Amino acid sequence: MLKLENVTVCYGATEAVKNVSMEVMEGEFVTLIGANGAGKSTTLRAISGLEPVRSGRILFEGDPIQNAAPQDIIRLGIAHCPEGRRVFPQLTVRENLEMGAFRRNDRQTIKADIDRMLGMFPRLAERIRQSAGTLSGGEQQMLAIARSLMSRPRLVMFDEPSLGLAPNFVEQVFKLVSEICEGGTTVLMVEQNAYAALDLCDRSYLLSTGEVMLSGTADEMLNNQDVRRIYLGGDAA
Amino acid sequence: MQEILQHTVNAMVLGSTYALLGIGLTIIFGIMRVVNFAHGELYTLGAYVAYGMVALLNLDFFSSILVAATVGMLIGALIEFAFLRRKDLKNIDEVMLIMIGIMIIMQNLELMVWGGVAKIIPTPFSQDPISFGDVSISPTRLFVFSIAAILLFIFYLGIERTRFGLAIRATFQDQDAARIVGVNVKAIYTLTFALGSAMAAVAGALLAPMFVATPLMGDLASLKAFAIVILGGLGSLGGAAIGGFLLAFIEEFGASYISSAYRDAFGFLVIIIVMLFRPQGLFAAKERVG
Repeated sequence: MLKLENVTVCYGATEAVKNVSMEVMEGEFVTLIGANGAGKSTTLRAISGLEPVRSGRILFEGDPIQNAAPQDIIRLGIAHCPEGRRVFPQLTVRENLEMGAFRRNDRQTIKADIDRMLGMFPRLAERIRQSAGTLSGGEQQMLAIARSLMSRPRLVMFDEPSLGLAPNFVEQVFKLVSEICEGGTTVLMVEQNAYAALDLCDRSYLLSTGEVMLSGTADEMLNNQDVRRIYLGGDAA
Repeated sequence: MQEILQHTVNAMVLGSTYALLGIGLTIIFGIMRVVNFAHGELYTLGAYVAYGMVALLNLDFFSSILVAATVGMLIGALIEFAFLRRKDLKNIDEVMLIMIGIMIIMQNLELMVWGGVAKIIPTPFSQDPISFGDVSISPTRLFVFSIAAILLFIFYLGIERTRFGLAIRATFQDQDAARIVGVNVKAIYTLTFALGSAMAAVAGALLAPMFVATPLMGDLASLKAFAIVILGGLGSLGGAAIGGFLLAFIEEFGASYISSAYRDAFGFLVIIIVMLFRPQGLFAAKERVG
């Protein structure tokens, strides 16, 4: 479904992502793991069209999409739930959801989708008229996830959805992401917590300083000596 | 008491056009982080377009304001498209020089086309003031206030109730997130610049019949627009509207009760005081970091 071929992304002179190749199949749950600054978020941003690709190709359903405008990429069915939630703080919960459907024109179904999201996230329903900036971190994350689903994506990318959340929310978010995948939406998730990520996903890519160091099924990764030693630290962190 | 009421009425008229001027400047800054030094020139442009339409082409006064708004919008879109679209707007020095250059070019073109003599814009209104009890207002001023108030209201509805307004507000708050959900931020830039410019042009077209049109009128207008925006807080739309009325009240009452020679100075005196004690402006939202 999504394929990266030798993708390189630069910030000025530094290569944040070097020659990365990876693939996500329809219906899969794939994670990108690795330390801070490994290029995980940059990879997602390049797929979304937010960062220019210096070289290489990104294919979606076989068509090259590298360096396309973000609004065209979301139209193709790729949604992005960014790091740090990035909800619109002074817009209401409803307006944030409406913004998620910004590229859609089917007013009636958008309304129905908002209602569906509110059914899925009762906490958001209670706060529908509140501005998003007044929500708790966990609620904002729920809103960010709901917003990303509002574009009716076929592939949704989550960037560290658990970051900075209370433990009970972390669990809830991971469960939610799994359910989204089980519902038929392909998921590509960036996660620093390697143990949690590998526990959930089908396959994973390990990035280090912008390069793919290792990839494989969740089990293969979990049993890899290097992964255990460096990223899992022996205990279930 | 009657005197105070009269000054209040005058200040409301002036304030409504100041609000237009200030919102035009602040919306461009809020969305693009570009300080539009040419804002005053778009104001001047509006005044001259209105003059040209009425005095030279015999168009009626009302249509001339519409034409001024349209021309302001087109020139604004052109400026953004030709000079800013391919620039990295984070490069503040370069963008500032571009905007100052545009200001100089526009001002000199105005001088070249219209000459240095002030132009008086004829209005279809009678010179006899309309009286409401003890307070009187000239028909021209009543018209200016009505149009400005209507435009402010339409602008408010547009921002608060339409899809385009929602996209503008979202871009205002988090540009990156707006791109992520599929807002074409470049198109928003062009539209914002066009809209802000149109507001300056309308303010010029509305105010010119109360005063006169001169090629240098933009300088003071630019300064005042900055003052309004600083009063209200950079990038705050509501703040700019309130700042516009505030500046008008300060000027009107300062000129009446202290010294009319220093009319334009009072506003700036207050700006200095605001900057000393509340540098983020009176109504600014907290600057969002990251």
